[in-house]
Amino acid sequence: MSATGRILREFAALPQRRPLRLLGASGQLGYGIPSGPFNAGLERKPDLIGCDMGSIDIGPYYLGSGNMATARESTKRDLRKVLTAARKHDIPLVIGSAGSAGAAPHLEQTLALIREIAEEQKLSFRLAYIPGDIPKDIIIEAIRAGSVEGIDGMPPLSEDEVQAAAHIVGQMGMSSFQQAFEADIDVLIAGRACDTAIFSTLPVMLGFPTGLAVHMAKIIECASICCVPGGRDAILATLDDEGFTLESMAPQRSATPVSVAAHSLYEQSDPFVIIEPEGRAELHDARYERVDERRTRISGARWVPAARHTIKIEGSRRVGERAALLCGAADPRFIERHQEILAEVSKVVRELVCEDAPEDYSLHWRVYGIDGVTDRQPDAPTPAEVFLLIECIAPTANRAGEVMRTMKQYLLHFGYEGRLSTGGNLAFAFTPPEVSVGTAYRFNVYHIMHTERMEELFPVRIEQL
Amino acid sequence: MYLQDIARVIRSKNAGPRCTTLDIMFNNDDDYNHVIRSGALNAELIGRLYATPVDKVRILEYPVARAIKIAIPRKVTAGDPGDRDVYGAQQHARLFKVEV
Repeated sequence: MSATGRILREFAALPQRRPLRLLGASGQLGYGIPSGPFNAGLERKPDLIGCDMGSIDIGPYYLGSGNMATARESTKRDLRKVLTAARKHDIPLVIGSAGSAGAAPHLEQTLALIREIAEEQKLSFRLAYIPGDIPKDIIIEAIRAGSVEGIDGMPPLSEDEVQAAAHIVGQMGMSSFQQAFEADIDVLIAGRACDTAIFSTLPVMLGFPTGLAVHMAKIIECASICCVPGGRDAILATLDDEGFTLESMAPQRSATPVSVAAHSLYEQSDPFVIIEPEGRAELHDARYERVDERRTRISGARWVPAARHTIKIEGSRRVGERAALLCGAADPRFIERHQEILAEVSKVVRELVCEDAPEDYSLHWRVYGIDGVTDRQPDAPTPAEVFLLIECIAPTANRAGEVMRTMKQYLLHFGYEGRLSTGGNLAFAFTPPEVSVGTAYRFNVYHIMHTERMEELFPVRIEQL
Repeated sequence: MYLQDIARVIRSKNAGPRCTTLDIMFNNDDDYNHVIRSGALNAELIGRLYATPVDKVRILEYPVARAIKIAIPRKVTAGDPGDRDVYGAQQHARLFKVEV
């Protein structure tokens, strides 16, 4: 029998549920898991180790390209750490949103690392994985049935956009994880998934209140971020039928009532609700009570099941090839007039590069020191130096490079009114100052899809290693 | 007094690629209540500071964490061509000098 089968059987035989201990090992697997706190967590005999591996916050590139955001070696080191620990203690290891964005190539790269580690460490176990990709024909069918809605003002999803997406994933939830756990497994690697499902599925299967399990999961999927000071060290949650207690496995981090409550704000637009495919946890009556200076007990979350299941779908499409020009300026006259200078030069560039070709590119510039990061405030002082990041997105890397080099040359020597510095308008830290940045993507799917086909969308695959 | 003189945390971050959220947290209930009572952090002010229509500004009081949460739509979807802050983590500073 494997790890999930064993704990399900143990609880089925108990006259009364015992508290469940869950170890949140990492909120961003692949960026390093501090060993001391992780090992301290293992000494507490957790029933499950969970790690989140992905997010949409990192932007559309990773989902579009199929590349992981984390380095292969550090990802492998983290996976080795959690996998060998889970096998040594014979408890389930659950990893969500594999490979940063959770699409097929990300899942495949993560599974390849898992298989590699298994072989190197001579580990034998039952592996489950769940692809998170949503077939385009299912989405198109849902669009036609009126079952797809934009999130936060995203425009209605068109069939063309679906076809244009490089990858489309859906955030699977507890029902998908449950299918895997029921298959008697040791390790689950999920494609794009709700970060909560990693930790909430097992307790819900064991009969713990769903609202509490989801609330707990939402906090510990970020490891010790909910503490003061916040950090990425492992965190232990102990759950019973009335509430759960949080304790960071790093001695310098304290989970206080205020720090834990504040965590509900992080990257959420509404701290009172956690929306899941199967329903929502409402936190209006949540209570945060001090146990001691390092531990807080949380209770009161309520679960409201949804009439229809929904999943968040995310897609990314290629926009073009990106080139960038990196340069600076320290001439007050240039800085004063930079807006008109950039507009004028881009016109000159267009005339040159479109002489025998269509205007098939876009140019974007950010002038750091002025408004490279945010809109300029009326009272902002004029800086002595600025950095210019000029970006071109074009159908091919050659075309983007051509536009960028032309822009470089004409911006360097543009004779604006009042110019004294006829030697050149720009400073380059190195040459070539223009770089090819690779393919540019954008999110073209960020929608809610209503579905009754959860099982079919997220099929569980089993592999014996 | 400026908000930066009384707040413990003033931060910004995406909540999904279409939304920027701003969190302001305080050390104690007195500071939190002072700012809430001042009414300084209102939709009109946020709309003006972030050039956002007032009806798109959402402000939530979250006393259990002594925090105020503000959500505004992003003008550019995170990572789209022309975006300046993919994570949305540097949009907070104009709150520092809000008079409270």
